Amino acid sequence: MALLVLTSIILVTLDLQGSAATRSLRSIFGAVFRPVESVARVVTRPATNAWYGITHYNDVTAENELLREKIAQQEGAAVAAAASVRLSQELLALNGLPTLAGINSVSAQVIGDSPSNFVQSVEIDQGTESGIKVGMPVLNAAGLVGKITQVFANRAVVMLITDPQYALSVKIINAPKTTVTTVPNQDPASTVTIVSVPVTIDPLITVPTVPATSNIAGFTPGSIVAPRTPIISSSLTIPPGSNVSVRETGILEGRGAGRVPTVRFVDAAQRFGVVQPGSPIVTAGGSLSLAPPDIVVGTVSRVKERLGTAGPLLEIDIVADLSNLSFVRILLYQPITERTAP
Amino acid sequence: MSERLLRLMASRWTRLVLVSLILLGLQTTLLNDMRPFGVMIPVMLLFAVSAGTIYGSEIGAISGLIIGVMYDCVLSTPLGLASLVFGAAAYVAGFLPFFVREPTWWTRVITIGIAGAVGELAFPFAQSMVGFGGRFQPHVAGVVAFVVVAGMIVAPLLLPVCRWTLKESLVG
Repeated sequence: MALLVLTSIILVTLDLQGSAATRSLRSIFGAVFRPVESVARVVTRPATNAWYGITHYNDVTAENELLREKIAQQEGAAVAAAASVRLSQELLALNGLPTLAGINSVSAQVIGDSPSNFVQSVEIDQGTESGIKVGMPVLNAAGLVGKITQVFANRAVVMLITDPQYALSVKIINAPKTTVTTVPNQDPASTVTIVSVPVTIDPLITVPTVPATSNIAGFTPGSIVAPRTPIISSSLTIPPGSNVSVRETGILEGRGAGRVPTVRFVDAAQRFGVVQPGSPIVTAGGSLSLAPPDIVVGTVSRVKERLGTAGPLLEIDIVADLSNLSFVRILLYQPITERTAP
Repeated sequence: MSERLLRLMASRWTRLVLVSLILLGLQTTLLNDMRPFGVMIPVMLLFAVSAGTIYGSEIGAISGLIIGVMYDCVLSTPLGLASLVFGAAAYVAGFLPFFVREPTWWTRVITIGIAGAVGELAFPFAQSMVGFGGRFQPHVAGVVAFVVVAGMIVAPLLLPVCRWTLKESLVG
């Protein structure tokens, strides 16, 4: 028993020190085990499929319906979003700022989950031969998935953002508070003066039947004629001061399987205001962060207020579906502090 | 030379490595996908514990070490952690003859279930000990309870396999 403990402790110590011997042992074992695992996967696939058929059939049909509905909703939005992203990237490039589009990436297939009840990681089929290094961020089509923690020649291990060991600096984009101002409009025949800053206009707005004119130089409103209605007030939504979203940083931390990650150390700054559920969370970037800025992580699902200077604790709904990963993209990104001179 | 090679090939430890390789293949594919109640059946741990219940503490500990090192190679936790836990669980399971004069198949089954659960509980504890904190999650209790039941169900299948694998000589 003493020999067992001693051997194990030596192995743990060597591995934690990053010993080349333990790394080689893992690498060699991986090469030997890979064919065995492939055969086992092929042989057990019918049983696995039967299991999924029995346990997940209702979920799959419900999810299928939901996805069809979502696709229909998002088709239009995606076109507009793509245009906005392109515009944003052009602006960033024009100003010499880094963009995600400028970072090389490698696509990889997920070839296995962690065979443990306490580790949240997946294995992918690309490794050092594709330029992957430890720490690089991993994404899927939806957003951030995790980071590379171990790399071998043709495979790598990705720690998911739900793993308790995972931590990353993120930004919370809090939309500014909006206030609704009702503009009295007693005379239906009068001309409406359009304020130059509105972001949204209340759908209940009523305008007179006469074509609207504007006092903005060079701007002619469209000749849309709204029907005459007896409502004699209109409401415009005007953000106070600025309509630019306010950003604040915090640290995202995983909490294990079945639990949503949280963001801590959010500064409760006056300008930032109260964090609203639904606010987007993106990576913060920076010279020390392993991920570049502005990768979508998720949205705030719940805000837990805490006493004192601790600041609020935010629970996050991750946009990437970590339970069903097939293909991922590894950004070949290293922060400036990690880069070695050629 | 060839005689030594043949003896090595026929040794119980070579058989253990080969059988464990197959079980690890099942663990990382079939059992990893089929998770009743969201919990994976730790067949590698149960196999190590089976070795302890059949062949005693010493053989169990060595078997646990070998099986654990193999399992460690596919995990992202430090190498040696699973071997320590598996070896200790198998060693504990090997104490069965001290409590039961003539162990029957069902006493072995119960022992495998309990020792397997002890091993499963010890794993997050060992992770915390080497600095991989934050592992004690609320679902640990559920996992341990499930492993007891799953261990008792799987044990009747593992016991004959383990008995054959670690048999000193295949002849007779």
